[in-house]
Parts: sequence; structure tokens; C-alpha cells
Amino acid sequence: MTMTPGLHKFALTAHITSSVGWLGAVAGFLALAIAALTSQDDELVRAAFLVMELIGWFALVPLSFASLLTGLVQSLGTKWGLVRHYWVLFKLLITVVSTIILLAYMETLSYLAGAAADTTSSTADLHGLARSPVLHSGAALLALLVATTLSVYKPKGITPYGWRKQRTS
Amino acid sequence: MADVPPDLNSNPPTPRWVKVFGIIGIVLVLLFGIIKLAGGGNHGPGRHMPSGSVPANGETLPASVTGPHIHQL
Repeated sequence: MTMTPGLHKFALTAHITSSVGWLGAVAGFLALAIAALTSQDDELVRAAFLVMELIGWFALVPLSFASLLTGLVQSLGTKWGLVRHYWVLFKLLITVVSTIILLAYMETLSYLAGAAADTTSSTADLHGLARSPVLHSGAALLALLVATTLSVYKPKGITPYGWRKQRTS
Repeated sequence: MADVPPDLNSNPPTPRWVKVFGIIGIVLVLLFGIIKLAGGGNHGPGRHMPSGSVPANGETLPASVTGPHIHQL
């Protein structure tokens, strides 16, 4: 299954936009998480937690699915394939694992937003809670940077499956 | 010594970067498993709550803490 040049360009644009957009959204999320961890301004800390949940539901989750879906289209519709080259395979693994962890973490983000909205919780409590989003978004940023680097450098390496397909075609 | 031609029936050699990535991946999975075991399998929101703020077992958090809060902004 090979795409026409026009469709290929469109799919590639969609994939780059969603993937880099996801990376940027994670960077913004990390900035908020660091602000929640370090700021002494009670209102700013509470607002950061509430906005982090919004970014999660309305930016991170949609962009992660968009990146995954457009990546699948991009790999299956071109000569690269999904499991023929190691760099594509690693990118797929990074995207799938990151998306699963993100979806599981959304429960925590809702919990944190709830704690921030609860006026009985202290700023010190919220500071303690902010370590987790800093850690998770920092790890996510690193993983997505690795995926982006793999996309640009496309390091050589064919899987045994890709090798067999190459020899039979 | 003459070069030995590659065996066309065997798989290609695995690049070094793939081995390095594979080892890093295995280490991360093991690390996650160890952390999960050390934490008694609990990796939910309660894990991230400071000890003084965690509700006792069986005690439910107030609705302001457990409910969705997107509408509150």
C-alpha cells in the first residue's frame, strides 16, 4: 500500500504537526509543573494544577492519539513499513508506551486539580504533589525528544522481518 | 585473508544502537517493576499525596477533590 505524493505530503505534515505539537505541549506542561513545585504564590500554584489538567485533556491526549494514528498511516503507507526498520519500531514503542502512561496518569491529574480546587489544602501540600508531574513530564519530554531524533536521523538497521520482505520483493 | 561474503540466508547483524536502546528499555522496565513492587503495586493518585494529606483507608475524599474540575475554571 503506497500513498500518492500529494497524500504522502499531507500525511507527513499531519504527523510532524501532531508529534512536534505533543512535544511542545509537554514542554509547556513541564513549565507549569515546575512553577507549581517552586512558586510561593498560592494562587499561582493552584492555577497551575488546574491548567495542567486542562492541557492534559485538551492538548496532550488528543495530540498523542493524533501522533500515533498519523504515524501508523505514515509508516504503513510508505516504503518504511511499521516493523521493517528498527527506528520506526522504536518510535512506535515510544509513542504507544507514552500514550498508555499518559492515559493512566490523567486520573492523577484530575486528582491533583481536585486538591488544588479544595481550599482546605495548603500550599505546602500542593508543593509536595507537584513532584510527580515534574517527574512524569520530564520523562515524557525525554522520550519524545528521542522519538523526534530517530525521525530525523533514521539510523540504519533492518529487522529480520524487514530483511525477509526486502529479499522477497 | 579474503573477505567472507555475507550469508544471504541469515538475518542481518543487529546494529549497536539497537542493542543499546534495547538494554536501556529493559533496564527501564525492570526499574518500573521494582518501583511498583516496592510501592506495593500502588501507583495511583494517592501515591503522590503527602503522607499527612492522604485520607485513611475507606475514607472518601470530598467531592471537591475527587470530582472533575474542568468546569470550575
